[in-house]
Amino acid sequence: MNWPPKPSRKGSPNARTPADAAPRAADARPSAAGGRPAAKRLRATPPTTAQSGSDKAGLAFAGHELARASLDACVKCTICETQCPVMAVTPLFSGPKYAGPQGERFRHGESVDGSLDYCSSCGTCTLVCPQGVKIAELNAQARAVMKSGHMPLRDRLVSQTVLMGKVMTPLAGLANGALANPLARLALEKAVGVHRDAPLPTAQPQSFAQWWKQRGGSKPGPQGRIVFFHGCAGGYFEVETSKRAVEVLERVGYEVVVPKQGCCGLAQQSNGLFDQAAKSVLKLCDALLSTGRTPGSAKGLTIVSASGSCTGMLKREAREILGVTDDRLADVSVRVRDIMEFLLDLHEAGRLPLDFQPLEMTVPYHAPCQLKGQGMGMPALEVLRLIPGLTVVESGRACCGMAGTYGLKKEKHAIAQAVGKPLFDMVRATNPDLALCDTETCRWQLAKSSGVRTEHPIYLVHKAYGLD
Amino acid sequence: MSTVVVIGAGLAGLASASRLAEAGIDVTLVTKGLGGLQLSQGTIDILGYSPQRVTNPLAAIAPGGPLVPDSTAATGLIHPYAMIGAERVKAGVEYLAELLGESMLVGDPTRNFQLPTALGGVRPTALAAPSMAAGDVKAGDKWVIAGLRRLKDFHARLVAGNLARTTLPDGGSLQVRAVSLDLPAVKGEVDSNAVIYARACDDQGFRVRLAGELKPLLKRGEKVGLPAMLGLRDPLAWHDLSQKLGTQVFEIPLGPPSVPGLRLNDALLAHLRRLGVRLVNGNRAIGYRAEGDAVTGIEVATAGAPRVYRCDAVVYAPGGLESGAIAMDADGELSEALFGLPLARPDGELLHGRFWGAEQPVFRVGVAVDSSMRVLGPDSAPVWANLRAAGGLLGGANRIAEKSGEGIALGSAVAAADAIIEELS
Ligand SMILES: Cc1cc2nc3c(=O)[nH]c(=O)nc-3n(C[C@H](O)[C@H](O)[C@H](O)COP(=O)(O)OP(=O)(O)OC[C@H]3O[C@@H](n4cnc5c(N)ncnc54)[C@H](O)[C@@H]3O)c2cc1C
Ligand code: SF4
Ligand code: SF4
Ligand code: SF4
Repeated sequence: MNWPPKPSRKGSPNARTPADAAPRAADARPSAAGGRPAAKRLRATPPTTAQSGSDKAGLAFAGHELARASLDACVKCTICETQCPVMAVTPLFSGPKYAGPQGERFRHGESVDGSLDYCSSCGTCTLVCPQGVKIAELNAQARAVMKSGHMPLRDRLVSQTVLMGKVMTPLAGLANGALANPLARLALEKAVGVHRDAPLPTAQPQSFAQWWKQRGGSKPGPQGRIVFFHGCAGGYFEVETSKRAVEVLERVGYEVVVPKQGCCGLAQQSNGLFDQAAKSVLKLCDALLSTGRTPGSAKGLTIVSASGSCTGMLKREAREILGVTDDRLADVSVRVRDIMEFLLDLHEAGRLPLDFQPLEMTVPYHAPCQLKGQGMGMPALEVLRLIPGLTVVESGRACCGMAGTYGLKKEKHAIAQAVGKPLFDMVRATNPDLALCDTETCRWQLAKSSGVRTEHPIYLVHKAYGLD
Repeated sequence: MSTVVVIGAGLAGLASASRLAEAGIDVTLVTKGLGGLQLSQGTIDILGYSPQRVTNPLAAIAPGGPLVPDSTAATGLIHPYAMIGAERVKAGVEYLAELLGESMLVGDPTRNFQLPTALGGVRPTALAAPSMAAGDVKAGDKWVIAGLRRLKDFHARLVAGNLARTTLPDGGSLQVRAVSLDLPAVKGEVDSNAVIYARACDDQGFRVRLAGELKPLLKRGEKVGLPAMLGLRDPLAWHDLSQKLGTQVFEIPLGPPSVPGLRLNDALLAHLRRLGVRLVNGNRAIGYRAEGDAVTGIEVATAGAPRVYRCDAVVYAPGGLESGAIAMDADGELSEALFGLPLARPDGELLHGRFWGAEQPVFRVGVAVDSSMRVLGPDSAPVWANLRAAGGLLGGANRIAEKSGEGIALGSAVAAADAIIEELS
């Protein structure tokens, strides 16, 4: 056997003397082996103008080094094409390989391919690419360029999640009634292009913030304090989910802090409104940072959310798609945890109470795209497995079709339904009465299209703790 | 409960994760993307060339067979099969065949099929999909190769022409002609790939139309060769078409995207889900924790803050040069990215400039292992007591030229998994 003089430039694992092994063994830093060159490169990116003023400046980021740098890694293996759920159901979209790394080569800031708008931004392609090409991110950036200057009114409207919630909450009965009226929906479709059969959120008579204020905060707990981030859907529409999340956090021993907060900007981002999205996310960071400090310590509190897509926005999308490199975001993004991820962490640290009541049932669980994109596996599955009697079946399907606001749009509704069909069938066949999914818009889509009541996984944790 | 982290979701990673989970071990599978299965032919190569065409692959890799000593003498590297051994290759291949069942894989590790390729060559392989078996060449057979005009990855006239002028391994030849159909997989789509056609073929209605167009073109006694696209989810779509046509049908695997590879990949992933394996997909392993002589955790690039998965043992199956697990920098220096493992390399130059020339020696670069697949340093001692490698990372083989990639992946996966099961029990 023939060994090169320098077997590896990263340390010398071949020398096996104890003295040599010691520092390596003790070294718990991420750079111990292999390091994190990619992450370092991200931080070193020159600040972009995504956070400042005009539309044009915001778009300067699109086609930016971060995602662009990854396109040369594409070996044209076609793995992304075989997994893209949109390409599977329509010939209108040329697929991730063409729209992503191939199209990007020709763009130089211009638009070259209109079919790009059919990409739903579900992110499946980025997940499956074995070469690390940021395909979905490239697509999102290129779409922002394509739509700049002629953004449809509808795309601006559906991005205004907080506004919608604020308008609808006081008028809940009225708003829900109007949205259930087929004529009103037809008018909405004609006027702004929101498909008449697309799921829209149900307004709640009371917002989460109103409930929280009325209830009077939470008591000090043995595990310390924690910040709860409800997001706008969790604040106005999925109020019950937010309440359950807070009650579970208290039950496991935390004092919950809820700062006044707005939207993360995800809907704006996925509709190509990068500038507004960057502003929203930084405003949210300010809000979350306003309470998050432990007195006398520089280390911030953990921020927990039951909105699986908002955590994705804070953890990575704002940086990787919008190019926001602001320190406030960097601070928040390392502290955000999805609630099921957080419970799993607690369990692994031996700090999760396991006095669950048995729940004898079998439920389907769908991990939404935006959750999968966070690269943490499926924590909900593992936490739910701790509940005696409960069988959870993972859907194994890529996408429900909704992808944020994609499935709302009249020209894409049929595609979204076709994308989601295998999932709807799986859900109905597994349990016609209850399904689980971590993000709001996916739940609305699943419930509407499969006819099966769909809840956040925290619903069953809450139940098993006897909190109903 | 004991916990094992498997890194990589190619054939080696999937097979070892499955075997470990079946033994009751808690398995976390970390992968940055899908593995190489769906780029493969969807067949199981054990050994195709040594460098002569091999008919009995298990015999060829056994002690006394031609491969192992020849390869070691020629390159100065120990061939992975010398460490795995023919018994465990057999065990690995049989394990997979049993797991997937006869509706997905047929064949015999002591006898190679000789199957047509998408360029009209004849390729040896040990196990194949049942939908390919009728293409095992027999002198005197009459074949018609049917292409689809909108599936550009398969050119029926090229395939038929090359096959017709090929002298078969046993001396005779085939009678082959080509036909072409214009049947869109999706209305309005001019250029579809094999996966799109395969999804269409899952539908009974499409198969009726396909048979309707094809049947009038057939002559008596002809077997029909089609591009591998006969169903993605329906394992009997090919059989149904064969009945509709009233003759034997066989699939010819294409370049990526490979439908037969995709079927194997989907089936293995579904199996892992049923076993409750924790799948951490779309994420890279970026570092590790260690104590004493053992790896105790694998750090993964989770969004926000990295996560560390605690482990009692590791199966490292990240592929080799092709998948980026072994990198070459601008100075031609080679390194293994995650653990900084020492790499064994063949004598002499690694790359020669002749594209169509002899084999590029760089493909043999990889780690050296002991018989339980522990990665070894130059002093022949394990680098870490509980770190085992499987698949494309093992040095010493030229998988592409020998057609040995899947046999190495399965044999090393089983060897590594069984050693871990024994140690942890
Ligand atoms: C062009 C070509 C043709 C070939 N032809 C043949 C042939 O005809 N016959 C044959 O037998 N063999 C052939 N081979 C070889 C064959 O592909 C391999 O031997 C086999 O696929 C190896 O499987 P594997 O499981 O080891 O790795 P792979 O299938 O490469 O899988 C590696 C996995 O590891 C993951 N990964 C890598 N690094 C990390 C990380 N840091 N963190 C997380 N995940 C990671 C990847 O995402 C991937 O899922 C060919 C190879 C090439 C390139
Ligand atoms: S999966 Fe990645 S490498 Fe393969 S074609 Fe798609 S972008 Fe390129
Ligand atoms: S983001 Fe989703 S829809 Fe868009 S190209 Fe990727 S896989 Fe397809
Ligand atoms: S992702 Fe969350 S915070 Fe962002 S728009 Fe949607 S609900 Fe609001």
